[in-house]
Amino acid sequence: MTTTPKNRKAILVTPEVCIGCRGCQTACKSWNQLPGIHTMNSGSPQNPPDLAPNTYNIIRYSEVPSETNPVRWLFISRRCMHCDDAGCMKICPAPGALYKTKEGAVAFDRDKCIGCKLCVAGCPFDVPRYDQDNKVQKCHLCFDRIAEGLQPACTKVCPTGALRYGGRDELLESAKKAGYAKIYGEADLGGLGSIFAFKEAPKIYGYADKPHIPESVVFWHNVLKPLAVIGLGGAVAGALIHYALIGPHKDEEVKKS
Amino acid sequence: MSEMVRKASTEEIINHWIMAVSCILLIITGYGFLFQLKQMNILFGSFNVMRAVHNWAGVVFTASLFATIFNYLHESISLSKDDWNWIKMGGGYLSKGPVKAPPMGKLNTGQKLYYLMVLAAGLAIAASGFSIWIIHGHRTLTLVSHLVHNLAFILFVVGVPAHIYLGTLANPGTFRIMIYGTVPAEFARKKYPKWMKEIGKL
Repeated sequence: MTTTPKNRKAILVTPEVCIGCRGCQTACKSWNQLPGIHTMNSGSPQNPPDLAPNTYNIIRYSEVPSETNPVRWLFISRRCMHCDDAGCMKICPAPGALYKTKEGAVAFDRDKCIGCKLCVAGCPFDVPRYDQDNKVQKCHLCFDRIAEGLQPACTKVCPTGALRYGGRDELLESAKKAGYAKIYGEADLGGLGSIFAFKEAPKIYGYADKPHIPESVVFWHNVLKPLAVIGLGGAVAGALIHYALIGPHKDEEVKKS
Repeated sequence: MSEMVRKASTEEIINHWIMAVSCILLIITGYGFLFQLKQMNILFGSFNVMRAVHNWAGVVFTASLFATIFNYLHESISLSKDDWNWIKMGGGYLSKGPVKAPPMGKLNTGQKLYYLMVLAAGLAIAASGFSIWIIHGHRTLTLVSHLVHNLAFILFVVGVPAHIYLGTLANPGTFRIMIYGTVPAEFARKKYPKWMKEIGKL
């Protein structure tokens, strides 16, 4: 599935520039009218602790001491990655429930979602959540704003440039120019729509080196789906051919009469 | 009027119809989900309705599958040398003229193997279906269930059309069992001599 539009948009996340203010979390809730939730202090300033049906993005507070900085904190934006080859869309059985906007965002239509939760299993990043009505919820790159030429709520309020929205190619180029060691998501899963400028290995930031759609889903898509058509077609064709060439079973008695 | 023998009880006939209808409904809706066929909305209105139809037809199918165990399992697992000879000659399905098949009991070898396949694939597709439907929060389990569900689906979409063809067009005279449950004794003596001997009508 390479539906990459030429003017594909993206968000560039640069963790080292993030100050952990969580303006992005607040702006997201505000624009998308998502209620706050009561959470318990778990000993970390990270709050809410993870993505939730009403929390499309969070800043992960990750304490990763380095040789030069024994109290280094990394603030990493966690959200839908808007994969080009999206596992959620691949496994989803309901047409239009998850769809690609012309900007390349993976958006969702609650009315078309049937609540099967297969997208949760298909997502390589554990992003989709289900609300009380059993409908999918996740970051949709503010598809309603970007369709009008605005930028997403989260990047709009980011005071440091840790979150930047723009043309995907331009963002990739600027991240490379700035000399980051690893541009995460440049080619993974057909190219992510949330790209990350990392100074070190993705593992340090809590991301898998090579994110991928589960092998079983790829096998199902590439092999089992065609086989389901070939199998039915073959069985029906086999029956017709048998009937035409060999014909119905006849007993001697039937022949005589 | 020729003498008739009862091959299927009323319960068997009804249960087979329940299974047939639910199974075909599941296959149709299954293809709808597999390929995101928007055209299914003509039949079901929305994918939410289709999901309910698929899930509850699955419940009916599962119940019906368990009922078949009492009807066919004992017979299907009693395989003898005759069955092996039957397999070697392909049941005579591939020959044009009349063939001398090994003597069969109430079910022929093909029917026994078909039943065992339906039972195994049916249990697999039912268990995986309920897992996808009910159990959430176990990613690996959902992925395995999804795979098993689709593998078993392929067995059904190949096996069911073949079963329907063999029970109707390919073997005139067999379909009446699904309606009346009876067959002419003459026909039964030829097709199921071992069973007729068992019930003392040979």
